[in-house]
Order: sequence, then structure tokens, then C-alpha cells
Amino acid sequence: MKRKDAFAAKQLPDDLAESLPDVYVDDLLVSIKYFVDEEQTHLSIKDDAVCARCQDKPCLYFCPVGVYTLDNEGKIQVAYQACVECGSCRVGCPYDNIEWVLPRGGFGVAYKFG
Amino acid sequence: MSHNDERIAFDAVVVGAGLAGSAAAMMMAREGLNVALIERGQKPGGKNYFGGAIYTHAIADVLPDFMERRPPFERPVTEAGFWFLGENGMVRATVQGGELSKSPADAYTTLRAPFDLWWAEQAQQEGAFLIPKTTVVDFLRDQDGRVTGVLTDRPQGEIDAPIVIVCEGVNNLLTQKLGLISHDLEPAHMALAFKQLISLPMDTIQARFGLPDEDHGLAVSVLGDVSLGLPGMGFVYTNKSTVSVGLGVMLDTLVTYRLKPYEVLQRYLAHPAIAPLVEGGQLLEYGGHLIPEGGWGDMPQLYTDGALVAGDAAAMVNALHWEGTNMAIIAGKLAAETAIEAHRKGDFSARMLSGYQKRLQDGFILKDLKQYRNFSKFLEMHPEFMGTYPAFLNDALGQFFSAYGKPKKKLFEGIYGALTKRRSLFKAAGDIISMGRAVMGW
Repeated sequence: MKRKDAFAAKQLPDDLAESLPDVYVDDLLVSIKYFVDEEQTHLSIKDDAVCARCQDKPCLYFCPVGVYTLDNEGKIQVAYQACVECGSCRVGCPYDNIEWVLPRGGFGVAYKFG
Repeated sequence: MSHNDERIAFDAVVVGAGLAGSAAAMMMAREGLNVALIERGQKPGGKNYFGGAIYTHAIADVLPDFMERRPPFERPVTEAGFWFLGENGMVRATVQGGELSKSPADAYTTLRAPFDLWWAEQAQQEGAFLIPKTTVVDFLRDQDGRVTGVLTDRPQGEIDAPIVIVCEGVNNLLTQKLGLISHDLEPAHMALAFKQLISLPMDTIQARFGLPDEDHGLAVSVLGDVSLGLPGMGFVYTNKSTVSVGLGVMLDTLVTYRLKPYEVLQRYLAHPAIAPLVEGGQLLEYGGHLIPEGGWGDMPQLYTDGALVAGDAAAMVNALHWEGTNMAIIAGKLAAETAIEAHRKGDFSARMLSGYQKRLQDGFILKDLKQYRNFSKFLEMHPEFMGTYPAFLNDALGQFFSAYGKPKKKLFEGIYGALTKRRSLFKAAGDIISMGRAVMGW
């Protein structure tokens, strides 16, 4: 759903926020099997200017595999190789600014256990 | 350029070899239809991820002799219920024996990669033709807009069929292309579920979870501190030599509070009541998946000329009762029955295919989804069931079973205070009525 008003993040109470441990997501990603499509990405930012105006950048947080990160210039980087195709960013980006298609057949996440 | 004589044609195409898709393909192939079962993964199951448990009533409905076909189940669910996490303890409310001691069991803990592969193999044995590593990107249509097949991402990727059953899963891109729903499902109506599959020796699992042997298993929903009191629910499933521990949190909650799912999960795994259960275990697999919990209000129209929709794509999930996999299987079967009838009559119009809706109404799926139509709204409006009440339960029972050396009148005052410091009696009564309304569908 397209949002007309600006997205505003909420803060957890301090004690809850402090109770969250730091986790290095790569330690989890090594457990996931992928067939990475080296030729094309299935995720991209539609318009960098929209991200630049987005104050809170929730995609940096809610993606379960940390696909979205900020580079040194403050631009969103998309590590599509780690994507598990859940679709959270497709519907969760407050500005509908993520182009999301399914990977080509055979590529992408390949859960061993599920 | 397409050469008509080279085009591939089937009696029916099923998009997605998950629970709904393989069930549909199995039923249609059994009736002699020439069925293509298209799967975008390397093999069926590779894209799927759940808690979780599979319900045998649904499997038996499609495959009465399923136990002889050795499904890759983990453990029968012989104990089920709720764990209520407080800040550093928990209250357990589980049932075992009785209804849960039947054989075959009502539910088995399962891992989806092996299960969905086996499930698709049953469809193949009935004669369905599995086409893996192939993503369906659009539909073929005649000049009147009726669906006449699918377009895949393969070279010359057109496949003709008079009927297409769409079992694409929660990301309902094709259902939107059909015009059956006009929008993505909303973050407020979807849970993002994420889990760690943790390896432990079989006898360790039995000892820690109080299971007599490997033919006993536990499945619980975990409420309270697990989701930081926010709208969400944890789960624990014991498999043979692994444990599935994870939680689902409403996506809009994760977005709004900018929570990192893996941090919330790590906090849960480190909880004083949970950590000893998984201590020393090895992470085998982490992953995540969306669950469409909006149910009734988020359902697309289920049929159009030449196409039907089943499973997560049609928001067939009853979040409170952990049901969804069973609905997918039954819906796949009912879609197949509709397609078989359409073939018999040579009529694939929306009017003919509306028989699918009728079949769903006659069974439990649409009845349940309608009854629970306000449940996800209820959770949104009543986060106290995630935070306040589980914490209160821990306090209240903790006090009840402590000998303070004080008059018991003080004890009950303490318990009363543990509630009213969190929620007034008036509001608590209202919460209970609201829950009743949400569950009973009033």
C-alpha cells in the first residue's frame, strides 16, 4: 500500500531496547544454502532519492537476513544474494520503493531443512 | 516468434509445488488429466519454511494410505499448548495424552524441504509432470481475456492449458496479475516468522522436553516476553534430532519499531527459561517466511475464467490454531475437483469455476476463516495478550506457589495487585469479552 504521509518509526522503551543483543547476521547466513544468480538481481531500489528522503530507513532493520545496508555515502546497498524471498521488503517499505520480482527459476534460496 | 506445433500443452497447469499445488496436481493426475506442476525452486520444498507441524486429516483426505508411503515426518505431536514467558520464568499450559495419543497422530512435526519434496513425489507417482527451476511470470490469455496458460521464464516458455491453479504462496504477484486482488497484503496483516533449526542429540531432546522416546513430540506457542510484549508469538517444535525455535511478529510492528528479527530471536533463545533447552545445540539452518494472517478480509476472489487460487496466495491461514498447511492441502484438492468437473463439462468459465468457492464453503475452510475474521484485528488492538497477561500469569502463579510465611489473605492481595497494577479489572473483563468475540466470530 502506498503511503502518503511520512513514515515515523516508534521507539521501544529503553529497557526493552537494551535487552536486545547484538547479532552478526552473517553468522546466521552461513547456515542458508543459495543458488546465487550472478548475472542479475531480483531486488532493486526504484528511486534513490526516495530513500535519501526516508528518515528512519526501516529496511535496514526489519529484513530478516540484512539484505539492506548503508554505504559510506549514505546510500542503500542491496545484497540480493542473501535474500530468502520472504517478501517483507516488498510490502514493508513505507514508500513502496523496492522493485521485487522472483529470482529466475532455480536461483535464490534453497532451504535444506525448511 | 512462436510455432504453434511446438507449443507445450497440458490439461492443467499448477503454479507452485507446495502443499496446495502438489495436492491439486495429485488429484487431477489421478483422474487422468495431463498436469504440469511448475516449481521455481531447484526442487519442491526449497523455498518453503515453517514452524511447524503437518496435520494428517488433510494428508489423508488426498492420500488415504499416506502412512504406508513413509512421509518424512519428524515426531508425532503428543504434547501441545502454550508457554507464557515472564521476564525470567515461564508458565506452561500444555495437554498430553488423550486426544493427542492417537495413531497416526493428528499432527506431526515436520521440516518442509523433505516433506514438500515427498509430497510432490506423490503427485509425480500419480502422473503429474514436475517442471522445476521454472518461474511463472505471467498468464497467456485469449482475446476475451480468459486465461489459457502460463508464461514462464524459460526460452519459449509458453505453456497452454485451459485451466491454471495458482498456488504461488504468500507473495501474491500472479493473483494480482489475474485481477483477483487489487493490492499486496498489508504489513499489519502479515507475520514475519523466523526461526533457528537447532541440532541436538535425540536423547537430549527427550530429556530436556520431558518426552519418553522419539515417538513423542512437543509443539507449543510461546507468548509474552518472547515478542517484547509486541504483537507476535513464539513457537517450539521438537523434531527427531533437531528443535525448531522461532517466532512470528507482525510485519508492521517490526517495521515501525525497526526491530532486527534475528536480534529478537537471539533474545528469545537467551531467555532464562529457553536457553537451557537449546544449550550446546548447533545452528543447522536459519530462515524466514511471511504468513498471511489477515484471513477472511484479505482473501482474493478465488476464481476467474480459466484460473483458481489456493493456499497462502488466498490468505488461507487461521493464526490462532496454527492452521494453514491443512487449509492449503484441502483447498488444493477442492480446486482440483473443480478443474476435473470443468474438464468433464468442457467449460472453464468463471461461472463454472465458482464451484470451487461452493466447495470451500461446504467444508471448514471458509467457515473458519469467516468466524475468525476479526482475530488479527483483535491482536492488533489488544497487545496485552502478548505482554501484560503472560507476565501477570507468571507473577500470580509464582506467588501462589511460594510460602511467604504471611497470612494467605496477603497472598491474594498480592495476586490481585499483580493484575491491577497492569490492567484495571474493568479493562481485563473487556479484554476477555473482546477475545471471545474475536474467536467466536460475534
